[in-house]
Amino acid sequence: MTELQKMKRELYRETSLCYQCGKCSSGCPVVEEMDIFPHLIIHLVSLGMEDQVLNNETPWICASCYACAVKCPNDIDIPGIMNRIKEMARENGIKPKRNDIYKFHKTFTEDVLRRGKVHEFRIMMEYNMRLGKPFKNAMLGPKMLLKNKLHFRPPKEVKGFRKWIKKFNQKTEK
Amino acid sequence: MNIDEIAIYPGCSLETSSSHYLQSIRTVFSVLQIPFREIVDWNCCGATSVKSIDQHLNLLLSHKNLALAEKQGIRELVVPCASCYFRLTGAEYELNNNEKLLEQINSESDLPYRGEVRVRNILDFFVNVAGLELIKKNVKNPLNGLTVACYYGCLNTRVPLEKAFDTREYPMSMDNIVKALGAGVVNWSYKTDCCGASLFVTVGSIAEKLVGKVLKDASLRGVDCITVSCPMCQTNLDTKQGSVRKKYSIDHPLPVTFITQLMGLAFGCSPGDLGFGKNFVSLGTEFKARFFSSS
Repeated sequence: MTELQKMKRELYRETSLCYQCGKCSSGCPVVEEMDIFPHLIIHLVSLGMEDQVLNNETPWICASCYACAVKCPNDIDIPGIMNRIKEMARENGIKPKRNDIYKFHKTFTEDVLRRGKVHEFRIMMEYNMRLGKPFKNAMLGPKMLLKNKLHFRPPKEVKGFRKWIKKFNQKTEK
Repeated sequence: MNIDEIAIYPGCSLETSSSHYLQSIRTVFSVLQIPFREIVDWNCCGATSVKSIDQHLNLLLSHKNLALAEKQGIRELVVPCASCYFRLTGAEYELNNNEKLLEQINSESDLPYRGEVRVRNILDFFVNVAGLELIKKNVKNPLNGLTVACYYGCLNTRVPLEKAFDTREYPMSMDNIVKALGAGVVNWSYKTDCCGASLFVTVGSIAEKLVGKVLKDASLRGVDCITVSCPMCQTNLDTKQGSVRKKYSIDHPLPVTFITQLMGLAFGCSPGDLGFGKNFVSLGTEFKARFFSSS
């Protein structure tokens, strides 16, 4: 069985428990920003129609707040499924529908891999550069710097982190 | 429990953007005479971002932290940040309940973990380990007359049920701490509503809407301040409050303090030792006159 088939089987096992009560969608704080309701994502996945959900904004808009998962009568890990959909989409070579949000998560993740801790200042700068919007949140930067809440200098590397992470690099660069 | 087996996992933001949280924790720990110990060589928990990119890596990062804690003889890992807590406690739960997975990750990561570390939320720690009695005993400057809205945010309580230390929909642990300090609390329905988390950076308009709802409700209830235990919540509610208030016509500024900052004030610590200089919205003048003049 390939990775993808395995992933699909696991997704089916979880989503097929759903009986479409819609509590996830009604309790979602960002549902009005989504292009397809969370309970419909679960429905489509349970029908084996993952292809239909790989190209939606919803998994990217999801704030991973878990309001839905807590309300789900069948204990379905809905944010977890959103994350798997995001991974599946990229494995299928589908460009993230919300590239602006994807770029932030990617910038953040790459920074973690650099030294084991994040350098908030660099993430903000790099994220803006990648978006091509150098002045996004520009009002915040100086305010934060003045209060010494953002540091120019990166944190020290966590002892042995780079050596440790090397083993897994192939996977994360995909 | 042996007090030497307790350590703090600070997380990235407590070292930079929310260093005032860590500072106030240190101060409060010293008043309560709890030794302040940090886990050594910890790494980032991955937050929501790593989970969005690579779920396996996310688990590896938390596993590494847990394995390190275990090796350092830590049995209780106290986590102040809600997001770090959520990742670490989730990993603890997943690894403890899936032997095969634990074995696989252990060998893959080359770090043996036996599942002997208990991850604890800082609110859980204050209420159930330190105890409200100890907190009450140390109050020198009761916060009488102050009305507080306790805001828990999402991830403090939405952990697997078996790991939950408080109810998920209407938690009370922070409220009970605030009451022990002599202040009043309000019943409100935004306790566990989302502040937008990283949408604050990516799609500011969504986060502002969510923050606006929380602030509006708190202000209509006439609270003096909102108190939180999550650095992300504090940043989102505090940093852009000026523009959010204008947009959602909220007349009064609402200070957003960390629970440990309030504890410190009640314990008679100086505001400087509690990092108040790093909060954007400062406490009201009346309140300041009462607590800040002596220092």
